[in-house]
Amino acid sequence: MFDELAIIVVRGIGLGAIFSLVAMSMNIVYGATHILNFAQGNMFVLGGFFAVMAFGGGSSIPLWLALIPVAALVLAVAVTLQGWITLLPLRQSTEQNSWLITTMAASIMISAVLLLSLGPWASSARSPLAPITLFGVRTPAPYIAVTVLALFWYVALRLFLRRTLTGLAISALSQDLDAARAAGLKVRRLQLISFGISGLIVGSAGFVAAPLISIASDTGVRYVLNGFIAAVIGGMGSNLGALIGGPLVGIVAMLATYTVGGEFQSLVSLLLLVLMLLLRPEGIFGRSGARRV
Amino acid sequence: MTSDAQAPAAVNAAAFDSGGSRPSRPSRLNSDNSQLILGCVLVIVSAVVPDLLGNAYWTHSFQLVNLFIAVAVFQNLLMHDAGQTSFGQGAIFGVAAYMVAVAMGIHGLGYPLAALCGIGAAVLAGLLFAFPALRVQGYYLGFVTMSAATVFPEMMVAFNKYTNGVNGISLSFTGWHIRGALGISPLTMAVALVACLALATHVGIRRTAFGRRLRVAAESTEAAQSLGVSPGMMRSLAFIIVSLGTGVAGVLYPPIVGFVSPAAFSLDLSILFFFAVIVGGRGQVLGTVVGVWILYLLPNILLADLANYRMLAYGAVALLVMLAFPDGVIGAFERWRQRRRASHEPPDIRVEGLLGDRPVVKCVLSGTGEVAIDVRDASKTFGSVAALDGVALQVKRHHIHGLVGANGSGKTSLLNILSGFSRLSAGQVTIHGVDITRQPAQRIARLGVGRTFQTPRIFGSMSLWENVLIGLDAARAIGHGGVARSGPPAAAIAVMRAAMEECSVERVPHGQRRLVEVTRVALMGADILFLDEPAAGLSPTEREQFKTLLLRLRDELGKTIVLVEHDLDLVWGIADTITVLEAGKVVAHGSTREIAGNPSVRKLFIEPIHA
Repeated sequence: MFDELAIIVVRGIGLGAIFSLVAMSMNIVYGATHILNFAQGNMFVLGGFFAVMAFGGGSSIPLWLALIPVAALVLAVAVTLQGWITLLPLRQSTEQNSWLITTMAASIMISAVLLLSLGPWASSARSPLAPITLFGVRTPAPYIAVTVLALFWYVALRLFLRRTLTGLAISALSQDLDAARAAGLKVRRLQLISFGISGLIVGSAGFVAAPLISIASDTGVRYVLNGFIAAVIGGMGSNLGALIGGPLVGIVAMLATYTVGGEFQSLVSLLLLVLMLLLRPEGIFGRSGARRV
Repeated sequence: MTSDAQAPAAVNAAAFDSGGSRPSRPSRLNSDNSQLILGCVLVIVSAVVPDLLGNAYWTHSFQLVNLFIAVAVFQNLLMHDAGQTSFGQGAIFGVAAYMVAVAMGIHGLGYPLAALCGIGAAVLAGLLFAFPALRVQGYYLGFVTMSAATVFPEMMVAFNKYTNGVNGISLSFTGWHIRGALGISPLTMAVALVACLALATHVGIRRTAFGRRLRVAAESTEAAQSLGVSPGMMRSLAFIIVSLGTGVAGVLYPPIVGFVSPAAFSLDLSILFFFAVIVGGRGQVLGTVVGVWILYLLPNILLADLANYRMLAYGAVALLVMLAFPDGVIGAFERWRQRRRASHEPPDIRVEGLLGDRPVVKCVLSGTGEVAIDVRDASKTFGSVAALDGVALQVKRHHIHGLVGANGSGKTSLLNILSGFSRLSAGQVTIHGVDITRQPAQRIARLGVGRTFQTPRIFGSMSLWENVLIGLDAARAIGHGGVARSGPPAAAIAVMRAAMEECSVERVPHGQRRLVEVTRVALMGADILFLDEPAAGLSPTEREQFKTLLLRLRDELGKTIVLVEHDLDLVWGIADTITVLEAGKVVAHGSTREIAGNPSVRKLFIEPIHA
């Protein structure tokens, strides 16, 4: 009984840390651009794909550690490029919702490329780290590693957004885009940087979580949806909210798997999202905006 | 200055004299009709030709294409006209198809009964979508419906006891595919008919007052409420209608394919419907036909054997279209066509036309002393800031009542309270003796209250005439005889229609947009008008005309007008009573003469000179 509970909590938090990371990567872009990047789930899977490509046979811990920043940088480039394309039509268009389509189109193209290169089968990466015993339960190390990564990115983002000039400027964008532009900030450049940072987060997350996830063309949607749910529960734009919201979604998902079966995991997540939107659409740490007439 | 009063007027005095008996003709601005005809022709030709040639592959392909067009049409209605972002229309389509398959293949029901079950199930699924739409909008709703679209096939697998799981359900519909006397199978005819009916329904709904209300609710919640329309009701109705149509299409899927499985209704299908609308051009009637052809047919022809490349093609086409033609293929064409025929002469909006040529007679006794609006001890706080602090105010019937004060003194806050857009923290408001303190905005509007906004709510997706017509719609819906009693003569409305029908709102200069709103509210037949800075942006001549208009609205139609305005000269010229607000408090109240000597008012006059 206790073992089961420990498994649910530890793995739920690990799984939730993935959602937290996706949510944080969406938050930084959302703050700077008010765009929700639908492709973020598939970018995350691409990070995992990088891990599969990097070591099919096996690897050592130092190599693994060294490759985390490489994966992060590769995905940062990819997401920045995608961000540049997404921002193109926003320059002078009347259609300010074009990002709904462009990010979704990018997501579909990545998933199609994954399908073409992997086929319809899911592949998975092996972890160089040995399993760890936690609360008397043998836990695969990536669950712990991804939790540590989520904490790392939370702290790093907090420091970046509060202590550096660029970070402060990006924070200013999330407060008031027009005022920031009027104050002479180079909005486009900052927005691209925020896309790049979100790529760093999601690339490292995909790489570290690779042994936990099935790397296939159709899994990306699941991570972007759960990441969004984590962000909504925590409060859109709040990284602390994402850090708390992710494990909440993860534990509920694990509970659902144990009690009603894995096939109902998405349904339970959907119900959680609807419930949250009905009860408190602004999330735990969000503030409801005043209505302007 | 394009809005010069001396410019040749689109509506001139002579037109008014003629009584406006000009017959209404089909609008050239709006190409819905020609798009509908062309769309139906394309659907019918593409359905009939392969059947006549006896090509089984293309017959099957175009049956599916036309079915998808029907679904995309309703997606278009939902997205553009009702403003609801749904990425889950494939699930609603799938629910209907699956229900038919389960009812026939597992329970042995006949097709008609199974089809009814399918349509019913689709409407229920639509109601499930409408439920979160009452609370959230935009991409939030998009994510919810998208999750639903991913969950649906999983559920079809999970409940394999009822659905046969991943193996799917096979059905036989041989009779449907046999070509009849004309060389056309009944199935081809049914599908083409559904697609054409879907297109016609879309155009038909747009023409009705309901269709216009949908669009107003989609574009501005506040404007809808101020016209007595409940946005939640509009959203729910939109989802019901759209699901009904999608369900009718869905029940034709099993006859075409003869097999349903969870994989057929994955998220990809929902994305196809969404992208089809975008690629064709959102809101464009013909756009759905073009969108489905480009997205579904093109990869089929070019990459017939490489099904894996289809998703790559969807993504690439959608991305390229978004970058090259943000309005979609048909949308870009329409824009080009409109620009070509647009004249440079701006329309002239003359609200006076609504008053007719009646001699100025005071038909209403002013000064009956009856109270129209009574505000008692009203307070409104935002956090620790008090926007209104114990405001007491009475507005008499048939008076023009000015609300003046510096920026941030609480004028608009008070107006928002009066029209129900925000709630008082403490205090009470009655309008015509009815307590409205806790009433929603649309209920207050139905009491005969109209309002305009600081940023005019003018809708680009409608013609200038439709922008005004929604006021008349509201009058008819509210039905307290507003038009019959105090509304403008039908002849004046006809003249106005003739002048405005051809006009795109893009050509209306900014200052005149306010007049469009005032016209709308006047047509609404409201007894009480709340005007939020209506004269901002008007030229001096227009200001004089506007003054006269307000006076005539009061004297001839007996309106009660509450006016928030920075132009103190204008207010002083026409107001019967004035309330001066400062930091959320009433600092002076009375007739213009009483108030002129008040020191706090003098300050208002002087301050702008220093600033």
